[in-house]
Amino acid sequence: MAGLTRTAGAFAVTPHKISVCILLQIYAPSAQMSLPFPFSSVAQHNRLGLYLLSLTKSCDDIFEPKLEELINQLREVGEEMDAWLTDHLTNRFSALASPDDLLNFFNDMRGILGSLDSGVVQDDQIILDPNSNLGMFVRRCILAFNLLSFEGVCHLFSSIEDYCKEAHSSSAQFDASNNNLESLTQYDQMDMENYAMDKATEEIEFQKSASGIVPFHLHTPESLFKATEGLLHTRKETLRTSKKDTEATPVACASSSTLEDTLVDESLFLRTNLQIQGFLMEQADAIETHGSSSSFSSSSIESFLEQLQNLAPELHRVHFLRYLNKLHSDDYFAALDNLLRYFDYSAGTEGFDLVPPSTGCSMYGRYEIALLCLGMMHFRFGHPNLALEVLTEAVRVSQQLSNDTCLAYTLAAMSNLLSEMGIASTTCVLGSSYSPVTSTASSLSVQQRVYILLKESLRRADSLKLRRLVASNHLAMAKFELMHVQRPLLSFGPKASTHHKTCPVSVCKEIRLGAHLISDFSSESSTMTIDGSLSSAWLKDLQKPWGPPVISQDSGSRKSSTFFQFCDHLVSIPGSVAHLIGASYLLRATSWELFGSAPMARMNTLVYATLFGDSSSSSDAELAYLKLIQHLALYKGYKDAFAALKIAEEKFLTVSKSKILLLKLQLLHERALHCGNLQLAQRICNELGGLASTAMGVDMELKVEASLREARTLLAAKQYSQAANVAHSLFCTCHKFNLQIEKASVLLLLAEIHKKSGNAVLGLPYALASISFCQSFNLDLLKASATLTLAELWLGLGSDHAKRALDLLHGAFPMILGHGGLELRARAYISEANCYLSDPSFSDSDTVLDSLRQASDELQALEYHELAAEASYLMAMVYDKLGQLDEREEAASLFKMHIIALENPQDVEQNMA
Amino acid sequence: MVSKDSCRNEIRAAIRQLSDRCLYSAAKWAGEQLVGIEQDPSNFTPANTRFQRGSSSIRRRFSTNESISTPLPSVGFSQAATPLPEEDEAIDGDFYLLAKSYFDCREYRRASHVLRDQVSKKSVFLRYYALYLAGEKRKEEEMIELEGPLGKSDAINRELVSLERDLSALRRTGAIDSFGLYLYGVVLKEKGNESLARASLVESVNSYPWNWSAWSELQSLCTSIEVLNSLNLSNHWMKEFFLGNAYQELRMHTESLAKYEYLQGIFSFSNYIQAQTAKAQYSLREFDQVEIMFEELLRNDPYRVEDMDLYSNVLYAKEACAALSYLAHKVFLTDKYRPESCCIIGNYYSLKGQHEKAVMYFRRALKLNKKYLSAWTLMGHEYVEMKNTPAAIDAYRRAVDINPCDYRAWYGLGQAYEMMGMPFYALHYFRKSIFFLPNDSRLWIAMAKCYQTEQLYMLEEAIKCYKRAVNCTDTEGIALNQLAKLHQKLGRNEEAAFYFEKDLERMDAEGLEGPNMFEALVFLATHFKTHKKFEEAEVYCTRLLDYSGPEKEKAKSLLRGIRMAQTGFPSMDLEHFPI
Repeated sequence: MAGLTRTAGAFAVTPHKISVCILLQIYAPSAQMSLPFPFSSVAQHNRLGLYLLSLTKSCDDIFEPKLEELINQLREVGEEMDAWLTDHLTNRFSALASPDDLLNFFNDMRGILGSLDSGVVQDDQIILDPNSNLGMFVRRCILAFNLLSFEGVCHLFSSIEDYCKEAHSSSAQFDASNNNLESLTQYDQMDMENYAMDKATEEIEFQKSASGIVPFHLHTPESLFKATEGLLHTRKETLRTSKKDTEATPVACASSSTLEDTLVDESLFLRTNLQIQGFLMEQADAIETHGSSSSFSSSSIESFLEQLQNLAPELHRVHFLRYLNKLHSDDYFAALDNLLRYFDYSAGTEGFDLVPPSTGCSMYGRYEIALLCLGMMHFRFGHPNLALEVLTEAVRVSQQLSNDTCLAYTLAAMSNLLSEMGIASTTCVLGSSYSPVTSTASSLSVQQRVYILLKESLRRADSLKLRRLVASNHLAMAKFELMHVQRPLLSFGPKASTHHKTCPVSVCKEIRLGAHLISDFSSESSTMTIDGSLSSAWLKDLQKPWGPPVISQDSGSRKSSTFFQFCDHLVSIPGSVAHLIGASYLLRATSWELFGSAPMARMNTLVYATLFGDSSSSSDAELAYLKLIQHLALYKGYKDAFAALKIAEEKFLTVSKSKILLLKLQLLHERALHCGNLQLAQRICNELGGLASTAMGVDMELKVEASLREARTLLAAKQYSQAANVAHSLFCTCHKFNLQIEKASVLLLLAEIHKKSGNAVLGLPYALASISFCQSFNLDLLKASATLTLAELWLGLGSDHAKRALDLLHGAFPMILGHGGLELRARAYISEANCYLSDPSFSDSDTVLDSLRQASDELQALEYHELAAEASYLMAMVYDKLGQLDEREEAASLFKMHIIALENPQDVEQNMA
Repeated sequence: MVSKDSCRNEIRAAIRQLSDRCLYSAAKWAGEQLVGIEQDPSNFTPANTRFQRGSSSIRRRFSTNESISTPLPSVGFSQAATPLPEEDEAIDGDFYLLAKSYFDCREYRRASHVLRDQVSKKSVFLRYYALYLAGEKRKEEEMIELEGPLGKSDAINRELVSLERDLSALRRTGAIDSFGLYLYGVVLKEKGNESLARASLVESVNSYPWNWSAWSELQSLCTSIEVLNSLNLSNHWMKEFFLGNAYQELRMHTESLAKYEYLQGIFSFSNYIQAQTAKAQYSLREFDQVEIMFEELLRNDPYRVEDMDLYSNVLYAKEACAALSYLAHKVFLTDKYRPESCCIIGNYYSLKGQHEKAVMYFRRALKLNKKYLSAWTLMGHEYVEMKNTPAAIDAYRRAVDINPCDYRAWYGLGQAYEMMGMPFYALHYFRKSIFFLPNDSRLWIAMAKCYQTEQLYMLEEAIKCYKRAVNCTDTEGIALNQLAKLHQKLGRNEEAAFYFEKDLERMDAEGLEGPNMFEALVFLATHFKTHKKFEEAEVYCTRLLDYSGPEKEKAKSLLRGIRMAQTGFPSMDLEHFPI
């Protein structure tokens, strides 16, 4: 409960607090005062008490409610006596005509506190225990007021005038702009709800449709104005000097040390430092979660930050936020500028929780963190070489200054960079730079270097107890093990181990180790929440039961769960932890995808999308949607996939570097190929290629995808030699950049090309090579489809090999039928039928017909005319053989239909449209 | 060329009008220019000058009436556009007189209150101006009252809103005069509406060009040459002053110097022009010339504090301790609470190596003026000397944030990061500083050194930078030497020899000697010897013989080798093919 003990000292009198004091006077009138006791029942009295309790607890929030908001809340609480309460409140305020009245007011406030020693207490008087929450609040208000200088009192007085004036002016136009007001409060509500962790996606969408705008608080100029107005109410504060549990509030300590020297006693100040820091942390989270999901919000955050910076030029964290904001809106120059500015001012010592505060801010500052951030920024903007240089320098400087924490992070970032960016194994990676860590391994391949870096980072993070880093390193390790064959490091030549296989067990182990993080956190007693966000959590809870009816309607299901929600806040998992755990689920999904278990992959993605979809960053959430849509396309056909895509598009299209567009192109291309609309397919292919950056080694995934699809388009157009050329050069690229898994699929494609071109003999080695690749990487599904191709190749060699093909097919059937997509299954059925039919002595036509029927049903969903025509053709043949003429005619007409559709793809397109 | 007489008359009238409106600093500036004009020999009698400078207001009014109503006799471009100053009211109202005296006693609000119902243009202007200043004063006070640990608060001039409203209403009705336009421009500028502010100020200076305050405000709004060129200014000799100043701020020093040279034809005794010229020369690093100019300036105007910080910089650069201490003492006695004075004292301590004290004085200067650019930069230098890099970086960064074109501060940032062993990070800052001053060899050399560090070891890039430095006439001759050495290191002996020769030429021209010379001579001698160009080799060897030390011995042995090679080729062969 850090939020309650923390506030000592960081307290300033504001008009809102005076309102609370006035209400407190009503709640517990002093003996001297002749206020009538307005409560009709004890319950009513208690209700006001509870309300006041929550008000006092939320008084540390950065946003204080306006008078009119307070009055609205009172309306909810006070029921029939609300008019009286409001009148009293406004009368009290209008009675404050000079600073002297303020002085008297606070003198009166003293009277409502029961004194500890005086035993003379009247029976009917309600006494505030000076040590109770409310009593403490009153005492602190009085103390803070007494500490004010005369200038301070004058400023308080004039801000009270503003406070009342606003309420008056707005209540005058209240009726006219009722709607507007409601929507304003709604924005506030939405803002807060964005941070609630257990929020379901549907609800956001519901609210979105309700307000018509993305639910982000800061995007209306009006609410922005309010936010800054809140900041404008400057009050005095004295920074608490007590050093607190450093583990719990690293931010606070880091900042207090930098601020203490500039701190003047009796100084007036925006808000307490902690509130602002906490608020900024929340904003940072929000920026990451929303990404640049709407450019509007990013620019409004920017202008808000600018204002904040104007108000508090020494608050350097603002620069960091601006950097984050610019980073997410892909503004390279502004991001760079702000990043450098932030570190120039703060020397990396303000607000970084990866700096252990116990070591203090050394004389030298912490500029290595600047390097780390800069490196990551370059990485994000796709400058791998720059990033590498900077990170190398970060390694060197952190070693020099023995900042092991930063070193561990830097190594992790470096390994991430090396594994993500396609750095050709032939180029000298760290050529110009001297790096102690990697220089020992200069002869190693990039992959081995990544491995070393990861191991090193993991070791350091483990010894420094950096849980989050440990977890993310485990995940990175899992990714590495998933994609790379484990080889002993320094072994070459004939004696090298021949064990070339990825190890799914270790992948699983690493993922599990990564996900252990959550249990670590729940066992930890200290909450990792930032104080500022905790204090605003109070206000969120406060608003829920008494919120305007608009909101209680749409959040009706959660009305009763306020309590649980509050508990959630107390034990809340920090956003970063949630990200990591979410990432582990995504990784699980990816690994199952690769290993070839569709249901497992789908399940993990669903878990991610439901549990972490809102708290995670938008790019991760996007990835999850992507996977689900891909799954739909593969297993349910295009109709469903496109419907789902539409939903995802609305949600993510504005995200920078959106992958949704890529997915859309992929799906369109797939469909165009199936429908036989090759021109369209080619065009989409070109567009896909255009999405990739032109820089070497960047966007490798995209580039590989584009040329793979190009080869497939050429294949469909029966330009075999060109297709083979493209595939060959693609294979070379994959080899150069060490993309092993892609190699397997390229080999399969080559086999396919040779199969189609009628050179079954040439195709065989490719298919076999692909199978062996799949084996060593445990790509079961891909292996099954390679086996299918192999069987087809055998069959293509003549009917003598039908038996062998059939055996192969039956071997792969469990995998194909259990996990394969529609197309793969259909292909398997058809080739099975082909195998049977090629044997003239075969007579069990029911089996054949059954599998053909299955195949044609599945192909129908895919609109794959070519294969569907083949299936119908085979069916017609079988019927013909059996002499069932009606059925034969039916199959033949189906065949004709598919052939016509295949030949006139445009007509189909028009029909679709 | 504008005639001196017309200028004189114009300025005389302007000073009176400006001080009637309490625009004192503009009046001061105009006064300085007035005495800067060479005295009219025909009028050069003490009585006359006294009469000119201080006569009763009525007489003055008559005299200016004459001067203005007579058509100005001068010729030239500026003539056509010279507008006629509007005529002031013949008799000042009583309220105006009271208000002006309040104003002079700095009771601004009272002054504006007295003028609340006045309608004459002068009174209206004074009312708004007093209101503006009252708001400014309150703002300053609030800034101190409300200042928190995170810096300044939201203190604003609370009169701005009403001022803007009233002035824009006046402008719409056309009842605004050029002074009102000036004030309107100032208000708009503070409200952040720069383009409108520019328009208003341009209108003001076009109708009344003698208000230097308006020109300075306009100059502060011209942040780039494009903006400057887009201004639609009518020709007047005041425009030349403006352009000179604006060019200087935009770092177009030669253009600015040309303007001042032109103006010096009329205002040959103007201290202002001299100081501005000195400033431009300082930027062109002509320290000797600048020193002379400042000395003269101080002789004419011994209690001047303005621009003296620049003089102290020059003295600092020339390491003239005594002169610097003299200057510091002088300004200290004149006005110790001027940022310039503090800065001069800081410079003095810095030169003496007492960096803590220097920082203290720079801090004081900054307390007096938070936006005092050079104090931030100089303080950064001090912190660098004290090895307190974070503080230095902070100070430099503040300078940069005040004026992003301050290449010194960018350079300082780069230096600080390089000191901390982060050369790659530092490169960005060096690049920034070079962007603003691409013709300074020192910056290129600093960047090259960065590339040369063992951590980066990007020699090719270093060579490129040194080449740029050579092109910018590197006065210290580091670049040539380094280029030669780098090429030598990379095994490109031809290039190395080329640069060593060039370096040698340079040293010969400047009459320098030193280890660099020996190095060059030795390399060249051996290089030519190996390439069998014995004559050249001999020349270099004989030059080496003039010096004592190991180089002499080396030269002797080289010479011996050359003789052997020249006379008996077989001996060479013997070396190569041992028997």
